[in-house]
Amino acid sequence: MKVKVISIPVLDQEKALQFYTEKLGFVKKIDLPVGGGNRWLTVVSKDEQDGPEILLEPAPNHFEPAKVYQKALFDAGIPWTQFNVDDTQQEYERMLNLGVEFSVTPTEMGTVKVAVFNDNCGNNIQLVQML
Amino acid sequence: MTYYHQEITRIEKICYSNKRHLETVIGIRHYINNNFDKELSLCLLSNIKFTSKFHLLRLFKRYYGQTPKQYHIDRRIQQAKLLLSKGTTVTETCYDLGFDSPSSFSTLFKSRVGITPTEFQKRATFTKSL
Repeated sequence: MKVKVISIPVLDQEKALQFYTEKLGFVKKIDLPVGGGNRWLTVVSKDEQDGPEILLEPAPNHFEPAKVYQKALFDAGIPWTQFNVDDTQQEYERMLNLGVEFSVTPTEMGTVKVAVFNDNCGNNIQLVQML
Repeated sequence: MTYYHQEITRIEKICYSNKRHLETVIGIRHYINNNFDKELSLCLLSNIKFTSKFHLLRLFKRYYGQTPKQYHIDRRIQQAKLLLSKGTTVTETCYDLGFDSPSSFSTLFKSRVGITPTEFQKRATFTKSL
């Protein structure tokens, strides 16, 4: 078994695609219509385009429990997932300049430095730098 | 402050209050990052931070979840992937990273990545050419 795709639920796929590519720097990999205006839409890391894909899935719009769960996590400030970066502070400043909102500014926690931002699609996402 | 922020602040105080431990393991990790192409024994690493090797082993595993040796191998494999993707030959990559022989390098690489360095390089080149 291999890890090929992980999913992130999003409220608006087009808006998510813009955010994940233009603000986070991911690259679109697969964009396939699957009916009803929905897409099998994945992005990958620019530096690891053969690596795991992130599926931006519209589950919250079609399955109420997914919407409830996503909102509960968001309201508590809990990240849906996390991305590794070389320098959390640098990435925080870059994203702040692009208008991204952070609920946790760069904070050292033992052997990592984390920050948490709002992806504007219903999720908190954590940045992690290994110290 | 969100619930999550409160929680990480609370956990930080419980799990990461010993700054001396943190300084030791972070220092060792940086040392491995800067010297991953060299042979690094537990003895050598413990001497750098004036601690016993068993104490260092316990600390590193506690704070990073893996042993210094496992981390060292991961760094080498990570760097090997980078070099191979850039077109460095398998033999050059092997010796640049301090492995004893191409065969031991290939065996380790395959056990970690699932394919041989040669196959990895072929796929990386193919992906780039698309």
